[in-house]
Amino acid sequence: MRFLLAKCAAHVTRFGLRLMRRGATTLPGKIALKIDSDVITKLSKDKFIITVTGTNGKTTTSHMISEMITSLNEYEVINNISGANLASGIATTLICNKPKNISKTIYVLETDEAAFAKIAGSLQPKLSVVTNLFRDQLDRYGELTHTRDLIASGIDKNKARIILNSDDSLVASLGKGREDRSVFFGMDKESMRYNNETYPSGKGVLKASSDAVYCPNCQTKYEYKSRSFSHLGDFYCPTCGFSNPGADYRIIYDLKESPSNEGYIFKIANENQEKIVSLVIPGMHNLYNTCAAVACVREMLKLKNYPHDSFGEAIKASSCVKPAFGRMEKITLPGFKKLCILLVKNPAGLDRSLSFVSEASDAKALMFLLNSNTADGKDVSWIWDVDFESKVSGLPNNIYVSGERYGDMLLRVNYSGVEESRIKYAPMDKAVELLKQAIDECEEGGCVYVLPNYTSMLDLRGKLVKELDIKDFWK
Amino acid sequence: MSEIKLTIGHFYPDLLNLYGDRGNVLALYTRAKRRGIDVEIKEISIGDELNPADIDIAFIGGGQDNEQNILKDDFVKVKGPIIKDMIESGKVFLCICGGYQMLGKYYLEHDGNKLDCLGAIDVYTEAKKERFIQDTIYEVELTSGQVVKAVGFENHSGRTYLGSSVKPFMKVVRGAGNNGEDGYEGAHYKNTFCTYSHGSFLPKNPLITDMLLSLALKQKYGDTYELPVLSTKFEDIAKEQAMTYLDTKEA
Repeated sequence: MRFLLAKCAAHVTRFGLRLMRRGATTLPGKIALKIDSDVITKLSKDKFIITVTGTNGKTTTSHMISEMITSLNEYEVINNISGANLASGIATTLICNKPKNISKTIYVLETDEAAFAKIAGSLQPKLSVVTNLFRDQLDRYGELTHTRDLIASGIDKNKARIILNSDDSLVASLGKGREDRSVFFGMDKESMRYNNETYPSGKGVLKASSDAVYCPNCQTKYEYKSRSFSHLGDFYCPTCGFSNPGADYRIIYDLKESPSNEGYIFKIANENQEKIVSLVIPGMHNLYNTCAAVACVREMLKLKNYPHDSFGEAIKASSCVKPAFGRMEKITLPGFKKLCILLVKNPAGLDRSLSFVSEASDAKALMFLLNSNTADGKDVSWIWDVDFESKVSGLPNNIYVSGERYGDMLLRVNYSGVEESRIKYAPMDKAVELLKQAIDECEEGGCVYVLPNYTSMLDLRGKLVKELDIKDFWK
Repeated sequence: MSEIKLTIGHFYPDLLNLYGDRGNVLALYTRAKRRGIDVEIKEISIGDELNPADIDIAFIGGGQDNEQNILKDDFVKVKGPIIKDMIESGKVFLCICGGYQMLGKYYLEHDGNKLDCLGAIDVYTEAKKERFIQDTIYEVELTSGQVVKAVGFENHSGRTYLGSSVKPFMKVVRGAGNNGEDGYEGAHYKNTFCTYSHGSFLPKNPLITDMLLSLALKQKYGDTYELPVLSTKFEDIAKEQAMTYLDTKEA
């Protein structure tokens, strides 16, 4: 009875919010959970659920998985696409979307790390992807090893097959003692070594603040045979011997053949096949996201006893992926100009985006937006953890800074070596004007890259919908 | 001016690197470099040799519990005696959060377990459940006698209490400070400055950056050394905004 009431209340709330032209991505679920705290368990029964968690790439990876499964024309996908990834958002997704045929429906749920620990038992997913673990909003989540332990506790509340990043020591360690349910994705070790030797990366004055430098078991510094980026790589602990377990789904790539602004051509290999993938969403980190998605879709098809070549189908499906909300969306503007928004929420995300923009040949202007609301993390000092210094020589000449904390970002950019005269800035209420100026000053054929954090992206996005007539994200 | 040289000793950068602590090192580096000073950053981690003569300013940041446990032996037993001597002889130190706590006498955990620390300065810390996490404003008297406002962000569950031989570094205008009780923030002993204020502390407080640079260079090149004048334009914008941001969000 409570359950019915909870579902009913959620539907009414959603209907009301939609009438008011609001997104309604979390409130219905919040109300349902208030009425029946067990609502997620009841709703998850008999459903094929995939969860995607980790500090970076959750949205992109879930989005890829969803688009890939949809493109198979075999299953219906229900997901929480707009980043509503707490229990309330997930409850909303489960209540407010009616599947046509439950046995042909796959739920792809992006799940916040702490929320995963709480609801992984209720959801009973069939597959759980863990993308990576980088320092995130430490004022909200605390230490990274704690986040890892949260995810581990969630994993132990169900029997899902777990799809883990083999190059991230913290994530790979989740496979220890859970070997029979672990599937790994990561860079091919040979490719990693080849790229390290062929294209050594630039150096800044000070190394970026890094995570997971020491083995948590025996407190010895990890050694690396090769690296992909940050703490991801072919690591091993000289004391206890814990090492990169090797990937079941391997990315074979060559940095030279994969110009970052044109998308990547690379290969994904499994136990006996090697297939070419062409990815429209650029950036090295998206190789990992793609590989995770391919691994996940393939494992899903296996569980579903898909009658055809499941690996080949998963690879084929990856070519259908388009960018997700706020992630590498390229918007075409008059005058052959483009606008590309790259959401950056934490140091690893900002590091990857800066690296990408510094290599993109069409980058003619760069805009930063920094807020410090609760959803962003109230402490803005994370921007100092990022190694701007090694990338600054490749950044566009014109740099624009806005957001409620533009002062902090202004100083960060300036201290990295960008002269005062190259930086224009304005408060958040003038962000759209500043962006228009950036577009005006951008040369024809060029792209204005915008790097906002979470609430500044929502704010800017809302304003752009009105000002530039760009379609909003929720349908 | 190129004959002026400054070396910043960055302690345990691979372990103590929370909340943008490296921004403080970058601030020292940048404001020295812009004055034409030849700056070098020297990383000193576990197993690395520590030679006091090589370092003009020492920086120790904060780390996660796990990371701090890893370096404890190297810090207290191996480098500890040398660090104590450096502090006593007036070497310039800036220590933040975990670095601050570890310089003190001990750290009393929630469960009553007492962790011995270096005892280089007369302070001790007790852990409490409630964390202080917020934007902060302080008032600080610089060594020049000038009194200025400073801004920061605190994020700590430790409550630190000062003994009679150390002075507080700053007065709390907004925030909790050392312990949420006495209205003071950080500790100042000889040329050692400690604070709970993380990350962008020095970037937004250029006069404190300059004070540390000046102390270190006077020590090296004599009291007649004068730090060249340098603009604080962007630093002031960031600081001003940090102060008013609090008001707009509270309103």
